[in-house]
Order: sequence, then structure tokens, then C-alpha cells
Amino acid sequence: MTNHWNDIANSDCILIMGSNAAANHPISFKYVTKAQENGGKLISVDPRYTQTSSKSDIYAALRSGTDIAFLGGMIKYLLDHNLIQKKYVQHYTNATFLVNPAFKMPGENDGVFSGLKDFKYDKSTWSFQTDTDGIVKRDLSLQDPNCVYQLLKKQYSRYTPEVVSKITGTPPEKLLEIYKEYTATGAVGKAGTIMYAMGWTQHTVGVQNIRAMAIIQLLLGNMGVTGGGVNALRGESNVQGSTDHCLLFHILPGYLKTPKASQATLIDYNNKYTPSTKEANSLNWWKNYPKYSASLLRAHYAGSTSLEEAYSYLPKLDDGANYSWLSLFDQMHQGNFEGFFAWGQNPACSGASSNKTRAALAELEWMVNVNLFDNETGSFWKGPNVNPEKIKTEVFMLPCAASMEKEGSITNSGRWMQWRYKAVNPPGQARPDGEIITELYYRVKDLYEKEGGPLAEAITNLSWDYGPKGGDGRIRHLDTHMVAKEINGYFLKDTVVKGKTFKKGTLVPSFAYLQDDGSTSSGNWLYCNSYTEKGNMAARRNKKDRSGVGLYSEWSWCWPVNRRIIYNGASVDPDSGQPWDKKDPVILWNGAKWVGDVPDGVSPPGGGRKPFIMKPHGVASIFGPGRADGPFPEHYEPLECPVEKNPLSPQMTNPVIKRWDKEGSGTDVDARATCDPRFPFVCTTYRVSEHWQTGLMTRWCPWLAEMQPGLFIEMSKELAKLKGIKSGDLVTANSIRGQVEAVAIVTPRFKPFKIDGNTVHQVGIPWHFGWVTTKMREYVHGDKKPEVFTSGDSANLLTPFIGDANTMIPESKAFMVNVKKKGV
Amino acid sequence: MSKKIKLYDATKCTGCRGCQLACKQWNDLPADQTENRGSYQNPQSLNPNTWLLMHFDEVDAGADGVKWIFRKDSCMHCSDAACVRVCPSGALTHTKYGTVALDHKKCIGCKECVTVCPFNVPQYDPKTEKVAKCDMCFSRLESNLEPACVKACPTGALQFGDEEEMREVIKKRMAALKGKGHLYGDKFVGGTHMLYILPEQPVHYAGLPQNPMVPASLVAWKDWLKPLSLIAPGAVLAGTFLHYLTKGPKDVRKSLPETKGDA
Amino acid sequence: MFLIINKGDIKISTTFEKLLHWYLAITCLMLICSGLGMMFHSFNFIAAPFGGLKNLKLVHNYTGVAFIPALLLTAITWWKEAGTFDLPDDIEWIKKCGGYLWKVEELPETGKYNPGQKTFFLTVIFIGLLMIVSGFLMWNPEGYSKELINWMYALHACGIVFLLPFIVVHIYLGTVGVPGSGALVFTGYTSRAWCLSQCPKWLRKKEEDGTLEVFTGE
Repeated sequence: MTNHWNDIANSDCILIMGSNAAANHPISFKYVTKAQENGGKLISVDPRYTQTSSKSDIYAALRSGTDIAFLGGMIKYLLDHNLIQKKYVQHYTNATFLVNPAFKMPGENDGVFSGLKDFKYDKSTWSFQTDTDGIVKRDLSLQDPNCVYQLLKKQYSRYTPEVVSKITGTPPEKLLEIYKEYTATGAVGKAGTIMYAMGWTQHTVGVQNIRAMAIIQLLLGNMGVTGGGVNALRGESNVQGSTDHCLLFHILPGYLKTPKASQATLIDYNNKYTPSTKEANSLNWWKNYPKYSASLLRAHYAGSTSLEEAYSYLPKLDDGANYSWLSLFDQMHQGNFEGFFAWGQNPACSGASSNKTRAALAELEWMVNVNLFDNETGSFWKGPNVNPEKIKTEVFMLPCAASMEKEGSITNSGRWMQWRYKAVNPPGQARPDGEIITELYYRVKDLYEKEGGPLAEAITNLSWDYGPKGGDGRIRHLDTHMVAKEINGYFLKDTVVKGKTFKKGTLVPSFAYLQDDGSTSSGNWLYCNSYTEKGNMAARRNKKDRSGVGLYSEWSWCWPVNRRIIYNGASVDPDSGQPWDKKDPVILWNGAKWVGDVPDGVSPPGGGRKPFIMKPHGVASIFGPGRADGPFPEHYEPLECPVEKNPLSPQMTNPVIKRWDKEGSGTDVDARATCDPRFPFVCTTYRVSEHWQTGLMTRWCPWLAEMQPGLFIEMSKELAKLKGIKSGDLVTANSIRGQVEAVAIVTPRFKPFKIDGNTVHQVGIPWHFGWVTTKMREYVHGDKKPEVFTSGDSANLLTPFIGDANTMIPESKAFMVNVKKKGV
Repeated sequence: MSKKIKLYDATKCTGCRGCQLACKQWNDLPADQTENRGSYQNPQSLNPNTWLLMHFDEVDAGADGVKWIFRKDSCMHCSDAACVRVCPSGALTHTKYGTVALDHKKCIGCKECVTVCPFNVPQYDPKTEKVAKCDMCFSRLESNLEPACVKACPTGALQFGDEEEMREVIKKRMAALKGKGHLYGDKFVGGTHMLYILPEQPVHYAGLPQNPMVPASLVAWKDWLKPLSLIAPGAVLAGTFLHYLTKGPKDVRKSLPETKGDA
Repeated sequence: MFLIINKGDIKISTTFEKLLHWYLAITCLMLICSGLGMMFHSFNFIAAPFGGLKNLKLVHNYTGVAFIPALLLTAITWWKEAGTFDLPDDIEWIKKCGGYLWKVEELPETGKYNPGQKTFFLTVIFIGLLMIVSGFLMWNPEGYSKELINWMYALHACGIVFLLPFIVVHIYLGTVGVPGSGALVFTGYTSRAWCLSQCPKWLRKKEEDGTLEVFTGE
């Protein structure tokens, strides 16, 4: 989230698309409801009429996987009607920038951008024109045919309501109603917000879905203001935190890049990722990259190791290699892994194309399942259609503590780092993850010390100062406060920064004080300021809201530097410094300084500093050449779709996605079915309020299992009639990759789509279920008896093995299936 | 003690069922094995272990689309509560809050309240041979806490407070809804202490009585027959007493023929 | 003495009839007491000896079960003598209220049971049936419409409204109201005078048939 949960209440118009927030983020509706009470409008766009739709002022259905068409139509509408917040667009975005005249767009280039070669883009034409000083040329009048604004207009001129309607199945008048309502937030002082979730990300065009909305938000001047922003509703309470702290293969903590094999030295590495700018008044914050990388290395390795040495210890990616989820499981499926830690996850149910995932597990020699309970992953060897005698994989279960059984922090979608206390002890042998890691670390360290090995020092020299040490120099218990302090960072020697003297061993007050010479440490520069000499900021619980706009700046702590609404420098007029929104200003100049939120890169009024300080040019990117699949979003069909042609271009699917069905393990688990009469219905997956993820923490809670006892599939009355299915019937749903049994919910909330003159049916299925139930547990005397069981297996048995072109997130939200009554 | 009102404003309800779960948690009610029968609603109806149930109803308006409407089904806490009127053991009583409490210990499982409740709220449990229902978390009210369901509600669809204060809240909300809200509960059974604001006419909600009232049979019984059942024999007893005093006992010997008289 | 059978007394009731009467009477009284104990909070104390209202309910319900054969046997046993009217004499008797309320010169002769008793008998039978049916539906309401069950409660109460006054009159007339009646339900015998007053037609018929049983003192 660029903004935060409470801030939704400030919105004049909330678009919920790619999310069913009412069901899956119920608390968010506290703020949505407040916004509505204050006269704000709620728009719900979803293939299915959901709990969110039930509260909306306007609802429109669209076929899964056609969001860019829908949003592209909105861009066209707001440009055609000149509804942009002009001054904002001129000064705070790259709309004025002139683009390389050789750059070509899909409308004039067979559906792809210029530079496509061998399923990859050569981005040389996706560049800006510069003058002799290297400064980007711009046209403040937005008239130059090569300026971003005009290119944008040209790109989306093809997205007429009629064409969009042909693709999405949404009636044109409904499109226009929504476009009109939402784009009204382009007025100065008005703000619209978007709440999205996996309905947008889990597509082969996931990133571009969000880009399309970001462009709209920039054109309407909705970024950096109260009630605006681009707000991702995370699917797990700490996904934001885990991403910030580098859960993903391609980043280190604080979104530093994972080094590549070709970057032999720290200097190479820093040079590669430290941007420079020639723009006047651009802060170019990433110029501090070397300070953050050095401080991270210092958090890993103490002063006795030089920074270059420390850098040499870091694992490096092979250039061009991708180690995201799909790649890993494809490699595992090919037998290229010996062992696997399934840590706090359940890939046998959560992974796309679960049959492939489950088969992949059987290729392992060993697996360690670290989880609260047994699950389909740990027990895959005795799962459906599996003969345990034929499985070689040895599975170990390490029971771990649940969140309420340990102390620590989570970072919510709004970037708030909130400290949580331990409520109860973990049961039995369960231990907190940190303790398990610590023990694992010491045992691995012992082995390296005893047996040696390549880069043994990477392990043996690692700092592990997370608690009081015993005589052997090892900690006895992991103190999460020590971890939090290391994440914040210390001064490693007496240092003078900006005229202030800091003693060795004290905590760094904020990332502005971090150094590139190894004299400071910080496990994550973005979190530097979270645990200072003033205490644990995340544990703050002051309910006062001095801002009057719901920032609650003394409740917990938020990255960066407790800034609740990022890009808030864009919330004021560039000349006068007056807030666009006088009623709910994020920041306000009181004559001497900015008050309200922590100001984001903004100079005093009229100073001219560009507010998007993380961008070298200081402005937001309407033209985004950084993406793998194009600087503007373009509609492409999902890998599996019900249509034979794309009304916008000859290019059917995203041209740069990795095609596992062509180059993967090549087995039927990677197969695709487009316009295949055997699989005529669009299917999407989603969640219900009562269950969470693969249901591991909810399916075994009798109260929740009672409310949602098993797998169901929702379909329209029309489709049910066609297939002779009644509500409550047991049906089978098949994709080319797998099959599930589910109870039919026949509902008017799904309606058939009219797609380019044809009737297209869509069905939907929740993915929380799995074949392991409490019924199978061995009960020890004195255990509570199992009471309620759920039924059904994972919806991911159906989903395709294909990912987004940028992130490789699997396309679970649009694929093709067939349904029929069981036994018919 | 001021009377309390719990307001269920369905125009703000998202059907998240936090209330249904909170009710089970506070009241320590077990779950039952259920199955999906083609709806989100589960269990199918209130039962001895489910005192609060979210109903999910769909209104198919054809070309105009569809509506998905939710209703929180639990005790309405009538001012003129049929169940309190019939309860033979005094297990069901009006509290100082205006709510209807149920003393589980006193319940004799006669099921009178089950049949007489116009909202089908009390549920008989054959296992315990007692009736169960929502008591608006009497134990929480006594500790100055709002009912568990209200506490759990994320959107403010459930609100709780003093009667006068809540009437004000309702008035404001109804005005804000500009005729799109339907107040339910104030016009019958003496006014209920749980009130609904519904986005649709009550007729669209399955199982929601349109004109709930204390059954005529109950009025006949409790208001007329019950007193009569004492007055009638009492009057007759008095009559016989009077008869005895004025007419005296019948002297059967008088009927003997004079000739055979043995007097 | 009260329960002494005198020489010359006439046998009116058989042992079976006496037992049946008390079977019916006891179940009936228990039902009334337990019922009232549940119907009025102020009578809840009736439950005390049974260990609480819940047990009182059980007593009421199962006494109700026991009441069924009592009622049926009663109906069968006395139907002929008490369930049918002897016209036109009974009408005349009723018009004169059996001479209980005002002075009546001449009363039509009555059979073994006078129309007052017959009315009581029929009331007991029909209200008894009503109480059984409504009571059982109240006990097991599952599967019936709630409205029906609700009316059963009203009917059950209605039954008691009608039955109780009759029982009061019955007890009054069976004891102090008509001396000589009380002993009858214990001994089965009563005096000839009583018979001549209360059931002259029956007496005469028995004498004519020669089936009258007279206590001879042996």
C-alpha cells in the first residue's frame, strides 16, 4: 500500500477490483464503510457478484483476465474528456517526457512493442530523448507527438468502450458509468483509491494490471494524497514484512538487488545499482545505495571481515537465472534437487498445478516440513493416487510456534510494523522459527568448521548476536528484540554524522545516518528508525491522531521513517505548496516546516524538488520502460482463454512469458487448453472469509469448518441448466491438468458473459481445501477429539503452470475447465 | 438502568460472519459437522449450538442484476416476549436492560417457548433436554461490555447502546439512507431490543416474519384462560359453599316412602 | 360410622369400579396439581417434593400416559349407564337442575346416574381426550406446525377451565353435598334411602330383575 488501511476512509471513490475485500479483508470494510458514510462511492468490478459487490454503489462484471482492457478503456475515457489533474501530471509524472521516435506500440506493431526478439524485448527504443547535457527533453504543453502523454493517448485510443466490452463482456454503458464515476476524482481536492489483491497479481499480465491502475492514479492526481494511492491488500498478515525482508530470490532486505555472478566486487555491484541523474531538483534517493549495501553487509559480518570479503560471501545469481517459485518446482520436478525445506508453507496445495508440485516432491531425497500442523506437503507420500512404497522422499516434521506463541513483529499491508507479544507457550516440542533457524545454523556451522567446504567463511564468520551468549560464544535463546535492533542498525564506532556525534554501539536514528564505509550496520535500511535509542517504535500504542486525517503516527511504526502516506510530496501544488486537498491535507507548510505526515522528499513551497525521490528523474512513471513486457500495459489474453482472437491485436498472449508447456518439463502437468471444446468454461480461484490460504490454520478450527465445510464451485443458473446441475449437487471440475470434486452453488451472482457475440460461462472455486483432515490424525490420550472436518482437495489441481512476465507469479485467476455432475 | 438496543444495520453488513464466530466463542458453543448444500449459509438454521446465524439470501433482479443480502438471525429480545409469557419455570425473564435472558439451570425443556416465539429463536436440545438461545451476552452486559457479536463486527453494522442514544443513531442512519433503509423491529411485539435496518423490504429475507406477533392462542391462553382456570373453580367452590350454607346438604332420607321411614 | 356397611345396604359399585374410580381420580388430581404447578409461577412450590420443576414436568407427562388407560376404561365401563341420556326424563331433570338449586316439587326419576353426573362423566371423557391429544402434541411438537401446537396450549388450558369447576362440584356433591355418597366410593354400598333419592329408576329395575345385591351382614 502506498497509503494505509485507515486512510481508505478519506476516499471519495473506492474501486475494488481484483479483490473481494469485504470477504477476505473484512477489517478493511471498517474504513470503506466510513468513506461511504462520508459520501464516498464504492465501485466493485469482479467476474462474480461478491460480498464486496453487495455493498457497492456500482457493480460491473468482467471476464477474468481482462482487467487491462477495462482499465485501458478508463485511460482513454479520462484522456478523451480531459479529466486529468493537469498540473500534477505536468510536474509530478513523466507525461511531458519525449520518447525515442523509434519506439513503436502494439497498435502499429502487430500487438507488441518495438524490440521483441526471441520472446524477449530489446528495450533500446524504450528510451527518452535527451539534450546535449543528458537532460530529458520535455514538452510541458503535452502536445509533442512523441511525448509520453500523446503516446499514451495513442496507445489507448484503441480501447473504445465497444472493443473493451467485446473483451471483458461488460456492457458499454456500465463501463462508461464506472469511468465517469471514478475519473471524477481527477478534480483537484478529490481522491480515488484502488484496493486490489491476487485478482490482479495472479495473471500473466499481473504487473501490467497494476501499472494500468497506477497510470490512472497519476493522471487523476491520486498518488501521495489522502484517500488515494495504489493499495495492494496482502494475502497474509506479514507478506509485506516478508517481502521487505527479502523472502524473494531476486532481492536482499530493503529491496537491494541480489548480486549476480558477473558482479565480482562490491564496487561493481554498487555501480550497477546506484542510479545517477542529471535532473535538477531530483533527490535520486537510490544514490545512497552503497550506504545501504555496506550497512547490510555489516549486519551480516562483523568489522573483522572487510566489506569486500563480506560481499564475496553473498550468494550470487547466475546472470539471467530465475529462481522463482515456478522455476524451483520445475527443477524439482526434473529431479534437480536433493532436499527441500517447506517452511511455513504448503506447496502441495498452494502451488499452481498441484499435481506437478506433488509429483515434484516425490523427486526429493528428503524434505523438512516446518509447520504448525501436518499438511498435504508433509504427507504427500500417502496422498490421493500415491503409493507410499514407491516414494523415496524422507520427510521430517519440525513443529513450529504460531504467531501468538512467540514475540516479534509483523508488517501489515499499510507498511505498519507492529510489535506483538507472546500470549502462550508453544505446545509440545514446537519452537519459534527463529530458534529452529538458530539451531540449524549452529549445526551447519559445526559441519563447516569440522569438514570445511566452499566459502565456509560465509557461514563460520556470520554474526549471530541475537541474545546473551554462553561460554562457547553461542546464544542460548533467540531474543527477537536483538533481531529487531540489528534490522534497525548500530553505529559500529564513534561517528560524527551531520554534525552530531554518535557513540559506538548506539542504534542508528534513521537511514539518513547510514554510512558506506562499514561504520554502521543495518539489516534493512528501510527499517532503520524502527528501533532506536528512544525504544521499540513498533511497540508504540498511542491512539492520538494529531494529523486529523487518520495517520495515527504514534501507533506502531511505518516504513520509511514512519511516513504513513508515501509520495506525499505530490499532495501539494508545486508552486504554492498549498495542499490539493484542503480538507484532508497529508502535509501542510506552517511557515517554517512541514507538519502532518513525515514529508516525502519535498522542499519548502516553490523549491521545486521533485516528490518521487526513488526515481532518478524525481517524477512518477507513466511511461515505465523498466517492465519486461512493455512501458505501457497492453491487453493480452490469459494463457488459457475462451476466445480465438484478441480484438485489439494479432498477439494473443503476453509475448514474453516463460512458456513451460513448450520448454518446461514438457509433461501433461504443464499442458494448456485454449479454445479447447473439452474445457469450455472460464474458471477463477478465490477465498472465503472463514478460511485462510490452504486452510492449514482454519480447516482444523471447528467453528470455521462448520461455516465453510468444504470445496464448492459457484456457477450461474444458466450454466447449471445447461449441464443439468442443481445447487448442492456434487460436481467434478476438470482442467487439462487435474480434477476436483466440489459441491455446486448455483447462483444468480454469476452471469454468463457476452464476449464478442458469444456466450461465455465462468465458474469460480475457493482454494482453501486439501485432502488431509483432522480425521486422519493420530490422537494422543487427552487430546481434544476432532469435531468437524472439511472436505475437498486443492483448487490448484486445476490451475496452470505459467507466470507473470515480470514476477513469475502463477496465473491462478484465469484458466479453462469443464464441469459436470458427478457420475454423469 | 437504561434499556439497551442492539442495532443490526444490514446496509453495512458484509456477511463476514465474525459475529457468528464470536457468539460461539464467548458462549463456548461447539461446532457441528455440516455440509455445503449450495449456499454459504451454514448451519442451515439456528440450533442449540448456534445462537446466531448469518442468513445469505439472493434476490435475482434479472437484467437489473442481482442482490446478495445478509441477515443476522438471533434473539430479537421482544419487549412483549411470548417466550417469557409462556415460560413455566421463570427461566426466561426480562432483564433490566430490556433483553430476554435465559437461565439455563431453570429451564425444564417444556419447549413452550420454542413454539410460541414468532421468530423461531429458542432451540430445544434433546441432549440436554433444555432450550438454548441468545441472551445478548447477559454476562458481558453485567460487566459493562457490549455483546460479543457487536465487539467482533468490523464495519459497525452491529452497534449497541442505551435505547435513547440508539434511537438517535437509527434516526440519523435512516435519514442518511434516504428511504433506502427499512427499519424492522420497532412496530411489533412491543418493540424489540434488537432492531434491523435492512436495505431491502423484509419480504426478501427468507424466514423473516413479515408481521411477527405474540400468537392469538397465547393471548387467549395467558390473558383469558389462565386466570379463568382459577377463577372458574374458585367461583364454583364459593358457590358450593354458599349452597351448603343456604340450602344445606341434600337429605336423601326424605325420598324414602313415609311408610318405610326409619327416621 | 362412615365406612361401615349396614345391613340392608345396597351394592352399587363393584370392586373394579371402585378401583377404576380411584385410578382415574388420582391420576387426574396429580395431573391437575402438577399442571397448575407449571402453569402458575406462584404454584411452582408444588415441584419441591419432586425435586424441581423439571421432575414435575416428567411427573405430569408420565401421569398423563397413565391417565390414558384410566380414561379409556372409565369410558368403556360407564358409557352405558352414564354416557347415554334417558329421554325425556333427563331433560326434565336438567330443566329443574335436579332440584339442587331451588325447591322443586316433583323430580323425574333418574337411573343409576342422574343427568348431572352424566354431564360430568362426558365432560371428563371428552376433555380428558382433549387433554391427552393436546398434551401429547405439546410434549412432542416436532413435525407439527407451530400454530397448531400453540393452539394446543390454549386448548389444554381451556380444558382445565372447564374441568376444574366440574371436579369441585363432583367433590362437593360426593362428600358433604349429598351425605352418604362419600362412603360409596370406598365400600361400594349405600343405603336404600340414598338409592331411592339418587337412582330410583335403577333400584326399581334391579329389584324387578332380582339382581339387586343387598348386604345381609354375612
